[in-house]
Amino acid sequence: MMLRNLKFALNSAWQSFWRNLAVSLAAVLSITLILILAGINLLVGHAFSQVLDGFRVKVSEISINVADDTPLQTTYEFQQQLAADPRVISVQFVTKDEALARFKADPQNFVLAQQISGNPLDAKLDVQVKSLDDVAAIDALGRHWSGVDPTDPTNYQGDFVSRMLSLSSWLNLAGIALMLILVIVSVVIVMNTIRTAVYHRRKEIEVMKLVGATEWFVRGPFVLEGVMTGLIAAAIALALLVVAYEPAVARFKSDIAFIPLSYDPAFISSLARDLLLGGAMLGALGSYIGVRRYVRV
Amino acid sequence: MVLTPDFDTRPVITFQHVFKTYPTGTQALRDINLEVPQGDFLFLVGPSGAGKSTLVRLLIREEKPTRGKIFVDGIELGRMKRRRLPFYRRKVGLVFQDFKLLPNLTVYENIAFALRVLGEPDHHVRSRVAEALDTVSLSGKEHTYPANLSGGEQQRVAIARALVHAPRFIIADEPTGNLDPATAWEIMQLFLRINARGATVVMATHNREIVDLLRRRVVAIDAGQVARDDRSGRYHDDVAQSQVRA
Repeated sequence: MMLRNLKFALNSAWQSFWRNLAVSLAAVLSITLILILAGINLLVGHAFSQVLDGFRVKVSEISINVADDTPLQTTYEFQQQLAADPRVISVQFVTKDEALARFKADPQNFVLAQQISGNPLDAKLDVQVKSLDDVAAIDALGRHWSGVDPTDPTNYQGDFVSRMLSLSSWLNLAGIALMLILVIVSVVIVMNTIRTAVYHRRKEIEVMKLVGATEWFVRGPFVLEGVMTGLIAAAIALALLVVAYEPAVARFKSDIAFIPLSYDPAFISSLARDLLLGGAMLGALGSYIGVRRYVRV
Repeated sequence: MVLTPDFDTRPVITFQHVFKTYPTGTQALRDINLEVPQGDFLFLVGPSGAGKSTLVRLLIREEKPTRGKIFVDGIELGRMKRRRLPFYRRKVGLVFQDFKLLPNLTVYENIAFALRVLGEPDHHVRSRVAEALDTVSLSGKEHTYPANLSGGEQQRVAIARALVHAPRFIIADEPTGNLDPATAWEIMQLFLRINARGATVVMATHNREIVDLLRRRVVAIDAGQVARDDRSGRYHDDVAQSQVRA
């Protein structure tokens, strides 16, 4: 009986979609526009998180400068202590000679390198920290170490890191807020579109109720129609976004070169999943709410 | 006082001191007491606004009584849970003045609709619809749309839909209101046949000729009250009529 009811609901939903084509297309168009906005939000969010990840990797590596008179044994012991710390990914000891060689190898330092006599650079411990939140603690650990160079203990830029952290959380928050607004707007649009469709079919609903249809029997076709509308809209939005994604990134890169944005084809599958799921859910929710007033007996 | 003709069968519909006041303050029914035995054929008569339609709406639980109790087949309608309502309505066949057919469905689909909501299998739907069409003499019109049928034919489709799931009760609200006298008489013959098969029929009507011809039980409603309950009555009270004539 469940299967028969499902078949009836699917048939009704399909027929109703085509019978009220103008209303159905209006709903598809509205949801498509909303989903395109949602998709752009996801893509921009993903692009910025990629950029932020790049920055994160850079700022979660700090160098602890070793004073010239620190015995090598003390430095090795501190290196082991840091390596054993669960917050630390890796620790690399860079000798004074290696530090100078690296400095000279950087083309940006070419002029300066010519003027250097001797080796003014410190040996250092390059520490890769797991989480950006822990960099400050590792920096404090380094500064309190007895072998650190007291004049220039570390290269940690606390302000920059905290600004990065707050920017990252603000971006997340803005993304969530935008998504929430889009969800509310689209539910209202779908609800009203479905309500229009329901209004056209109120006589049918009345007859259904009079002959003893349960609320779910009446509601089922409308909810399925909503899911169908949402899926069609999601497929259209996805196709448009996929086509526009790569050229848009290329254009952005050529216009604003200092932000290292990149095209990530692997993200498309997750975008497809999110949009299809979102479209189906929006359609179902909008229909559920839209039809409620007429269905209640 | 319960106005009950001297039937020996157990009542399947009972109104006990039923009052209905709408939120606007209109008092539609006042202290209605009524018993309808199984297999009865009852006409509800009375002027427009007397409360007949409210009584029908209470019977199909489109409205709840403000006070009092209504029992149908042992179920108290006022206390019935909302989720049980569809199952109650499946016991009832409903016929309305405006037919309430779905214009985008064929005759067959309109009748089958009442069985589809019950989740009946296709082969069962086919045979039951054919049987119902035969009863209302509309075999051969399966694929016609309501717009291409006459008023009488549309009402016959509505009756076929009302009886296709073999309900124990038929409730009809002005079923001949939109029909010419000859067609109305045909429709009444149908109701009589359905009643003869054992279904209880409650019919609100303004059709004086039919009520007077059939001489079935007549409950007259006036100003929201039961004014008269005759086992074999006429549309108008004979005594009152003679007084008017005198």
